[in-house]
Amino acid sequence: MEIMGLLIDGIGQAMQPSILASTMLGAILGLLIGALPGLGPSAGVAIMLPIAVTFGGTAAIACIAGIYYGAMFGGAITSILLGIPGDAPSVMTVLDGYPMALKGEAGRALGMSVFASFIGGLFGLAGMVALSVPISRWALAFGPTEMTAMMAFSLSLVSVLGGRNSIKGFAALVLGMWVGMIGLDPIAGPARYTFGQMDLFDGLDFSVVAVGLFGLTAMFTSVSDKIDRDAASFSLRSLLPRFRDAVASRWELLSGSIIGFVVGVLPGVGATAATMLSYATAKRFSRRPEKFGTGIVEGVAAPEAANNSASYGNMIPLFTLGIPGSATTAVMMGGLLMIGLQPGPLLFVNNSEFIWTLFGSFWVGNLALVFLTLLLTPLLASILFISTALLYPVIIAVVMFGVYAIEFSMANIVIAIIAGGIGLVLMELDYPPVPLVLGLVLGPMLERNIRRTMIQSEGDLSVFVQHPISLTLFIATAFVIVLPQIMRVLKLRKIPADEAEAEAMPADSERTA
Amino acid sequence: MTHSTLSALWSRGRITAVSALCAASLMATTPALADYPERDISMIIPFGVGGGSDTLARTIANVIGELKLLPVQILPENRPGGSGAVGYSSVGKEKGNPYVIATVSVSFFTTPLQGGSPVSYRDFTPLGAIAQSPYVLVVPASSEYKTLDDLKKAKRLTTGTVGVVSDAALLAKMTSNGLGVKIDAVPFDGEGEVMAAILGGHVNVAYFNPSEALPQIKAGTLRPLAVSSAKRADAFPDVPTFSELGHNIVHTQIRGLVMPKDVKPEVVACWEGVLKKVAESPQWRTQYIDRFHDVPNFMNSAEFATAIADTSGRYERLMKELGVIK
Repeated sequence: MEIMGLLIDGIGQAMQPSILASTMLGAILGLLIGALPGLGPSAGVAIMLPIAVTFGGTAAIACIAGIYYGAMFGGAITSILLGIPGDAPSVMTVLDGYPMALKGEAGRALGMSVFASFIGGLFGLAGMVALSVPISRWALAFGPTEMTAMMAFSLSLVSVLGGRNSIKGFAALVLGMWVGMIGLDPIAGPARYTFGQMDLFDGLDFSVVAVGLFGLTAMFTSVSDKIDRDAASFSLRSLLPRFRDAVASRWELLSGSIIGFVVGVLPGVGATAATMLSYATAKRFSRRPEKFGTGIVEGVAAPEAANNSASYGNMIPLFTLGIPGSATTAVMMGGLLMIGLQPGPLLFVNNSEFIWTLFGSFWVGNLALVFLTLLLTPLLASILFISTALLYPVIIAVVMFGVYAIEFSMANIVIAIIAGGIGLVLMELDYPPVPLVLGLVLGPMLERNIRRTMIQSEGDLSVFVQHPISLTLFIATAFVIVLPQIMRVLKLRKIPADEAEAEAMPADSERTA
Repeated sequence: MTHSTLSALWSRGRITAVSALCAASLMATTPALADYPERDISMIIPFGVGGGSDTLARTIANVIGELKLLPVQILPENRPGGSGAVGYSSVGKEKGNPYVIATVSVSFFTTPLQGGSPVSYRDFTPLGAIAQSPYVLVVPASSEYKTLDDLKKAKRLTTGTVGVVSDAALLAKMTSNGLGVKIDAVPFDGEGEVMAAILGGHVNVAYFNPSEALPQIKAGTLRPLAVSSAKRADAFPDVPTFSELGHNIVHTQIRGLVMPKDVKPEVVACWEGVLKKVAESPQWRTQYIDRFHDVPNFMNSAEFATAIADTSGRYERLMKELGVIK
């Protein structure tokens, strides 16, 4: 109850004109930055930091945080409308959001993403307010050994996203893992696969690859298609969100919110991995897994709830322990220092008014974003009425700018175009692009944590079963892998998700048609 | 009002003094350069916005502006990428150009050694240094190790570092050699992850900058054992140095500025004057030293040049010992 009082107080404080204005500014900028393909929250927060600190005190951090969670709303927009992920955490939204738009349900998909973002945000905020301190202590229990187990478990869950040919799925996964190895070896030091190019030294930016692989590929394929898409099937109804969908997707919203929050709290994992796990979990436990990837609202609900929830979860270690768990929160930590606050375990004690006002601004910002995006939905969805012959050249220019603006680097533009070309080849040869992005995100985390564990244990593998969290996760992993096989052998019951993978999914390859 | 007028007058007095100083040292030899600087100077930051290097560079630029030490502006510009190689090479290739400037960082030394950059420290002119950041060796509050010598009791220790080659890795090696105990370094992806690893008890010891360690020490979650500077740090008056404890371990991160190779000696002299004034100014103290708990310490160009060569040598030896380079 004490917490409720503090929170209500904080919301009151956050309604002060100066803080309200900077929250709104942050949220709206975040929306735009999220929607701009390539630019994501970490680049957006970094770009805005020098300006935001001039607002001073709480207003500065409210603005920066607004950009972070605003971007989670905005990322879905281009993912759904154009099949181009607006930022890394909205890559999974492309899988069902874009097919929905192609079916003439753009408004419905956007509406779903807004609801999901809002619910995920509420869940993340509630968790942040109620559980900040205990959950951040819990997150510390995850060292390299536990993280290795967590990644193994994640990979076993996402295996449902492999597409209909498991060999091709694995090939794409390995390709993704290989791409994830480009750059300086994070554990031993030497450069790997950089071919002497200093632009490759820091590795490839995931959002650049994703924008190329999904967005540019979709546009490249349109070259061989007929020039214009049939716009006649779009109606006013297609532009409006449907409130019923939120009820129908309640389980996906709940599981997405929980997964997003828990994964978001873990340092070094991040919102993108959370969306992948959330989408995979939704598919695995769905009654109609075969429909995932063909344009269903559940496929939008799960990742969008997860990325918003994760954005709040991600801020928890920063505020409670002074640990930035991601690039975005590292910049926020810089912001805290610049306004003269010392991030650390005592922030909650010494600056509780700041913390609660900031949390208050999150509630205000989250609510404002819902109204803003719902109002914009029909307008945004009508972008699909524009002829692709006019739309695509403009979009390509915008994408190129977004990719360039991440690090002001021409190299990223080249990488995006190459990724687009590779995407085209993969599509022609019928290799699924999703395992590639999974490999690119989860592969480096798996590799680093295995190698860290091996340094810690001096090469002793038994640590994986000696640590209780790690043991539990490995048992769960084995369960996820083996159970369907046992079921199949015993002919007990068909697991819909695996069955769907085994059978052909013809709609899969039509995704970007 | 009165105060601001006064300080404006005061700094105007200073600007003429300093400009006169620069111009005098320039005029003595080359009349053509008499009015350096005649246009704005770009300060290249080879890293993203919001990081340590960015804050350092922008604060220096800001203090120079506030004190009106130069008649032109300093324009900070972020050029991240390639572990600093993109930004540093863009400066290093501008041979003789006195209108680009950069701060040094760990990557300034390590990326060239790892073969990732077309330029190395030899392609730059050291101008001067204005502060040093010591490192503090910490253990979790619950650790059995209460003093530095307690670490000798351990069979083997682990530490977390950011990347393979870093100041923390270097200090771990030095501590390991000094105490005669094996310390294995586990590379993580950022200070935050190292902090999580030590607080979670996944590594035994860690080395942090004062500003990272201080909040945890105050909160009682980490215990400091020793600092790596030659003298005790103001932020931790009760924490002994390694030297006091009988170990010859001194290594700090030097905050200094460089220009491309072959800039005129008059330009270097001008910047030495500017940096000395920055280092001694109250603005620098409140905006940087007090906030990040660095040790204020001015070094002239020659001293800084020696320090740079020393530091690079230390990293090179470490990388050879670790087998990162041959």
